[in-house]
Amino acid sequence: MTSSKVSQDPHRFDPEIRQIEQEIVEFFAEKSPEFTGRHPIIATVLTYFDIRRSLTQQDLQDLTGFSAGTISKSVRQLVDMNLITKETIPGSHKHIYRMEKLPFTSARYFFRTEKLLEEMEKELKEMKDTLDTHAEEMKDIKGYQKIYTTITQLLELISTMPTFMALIDEEIGKFIKENK
Amino acid sequence: MKNNKHRLIERKLRTVEKRLIDLITNMGYLKGRSHKASEITAHIYIHQEATQKILRKLTGYSLGTISTALQALEKQGVVNKHSDPDTHEYHYELDGTISQIGFRSLTDVQRYLSQMKEFFREIEAKLSHPHLSTKKGYENIRRFLDEMNTLIPAYERVMQRFQTFTSDFKPKREV
Repeated sequence: MTSSKVSQDPHRFDPEIRQIEQEIVEFFAEKSPEFTGRHPIIATVLTYFDIRRSLTQQDLQDLTGFSAGTISKSVRQLVDMNLITKETIPGSHKHIYRMEKLPFTSARYFFRTEKLLEEMEKELKEMKDTLDTHAEEMKDIKGYQKIYTTITQLLELISTMPTFMALIDEEIGKFIKENK
Repeated sequence: MKNNKHRLIERKLRTVEKRLIDLITNMGYLKGRSHKASEITAHIYIHQEATQKILRKLTGYSLGTISTALQALEKQGVVNKHSDPDTHEYHYELDGTISQIGFRSLTDVQRYLSQMKEFFREIEAKLSHPHLSTKKGYENIRRFLDEMNTLIPAYERVMQRFQTFTSDFKPKREV
């Protein structure tokens, strides 16, 4: 079982190295869902990108043993999360997926996160405005208070994010610049 | 006429609710949760408390999917469950406000980082055997560990400083 997996290794990693890599992958597949809420399959695929950086969907199937459908869904989600990029392999219809550098060290990743937070804040404020404008007519309708509370609490949480991002910029910014 | 206006207003509220569910679902998806788990989380955030049956009615997902998502949320400390003495049904309740859960999850990252450090020490020991340094794939693991060894202390400082900020932040907002 193991030898067939090793022989299918797209980058032909040495079996002992492959064993170490699998331990790393298993660690994140177990811990990431617990601490970050990330799905174990997403955590698994992401860790392979952390280590190998460039992979096709076939490579990922060979490495993980997951089905083509599962891999396709996972890479689409990782692209949506802005953690990897998708490129067409010249002269073919195949795609290769790349992680240029660890997301935490990527200025592009943080720029996108900041933009996303801004968009979410804007949308939440619009929703809050609608509820405020119609407060008198809506307040007795089932669910109004809970919806209002959720929006307010999310806005409160998002309001702390610029501080968080500034701290990351300060503490990790040096590392980002060094790795440009 | 009055009924028509009431219906219109109710529809407006439901539209906001739907937008809110979509927004929270998208947030979860972009964090790496599955779409279904993210949607279940969104309903729990809004309703603050629900049973598996209620969530099935709200989302249309199977009880198995709902149960798996709730178990994960419980493990993460987002919800806690208690049994209803009359119906013996489990009720899943949001464990604090959304901000409290958010701040807590950032604190949990510190525990995560510390477990990572310990784990990477074991990996370093395994990788340090001289015969491995020429093996195919060694450089990939080495680079990954070097990056993580730089990033983990930096992230620890971020979390410590952010924790100080949030402990100052909360009382101000609650006054």
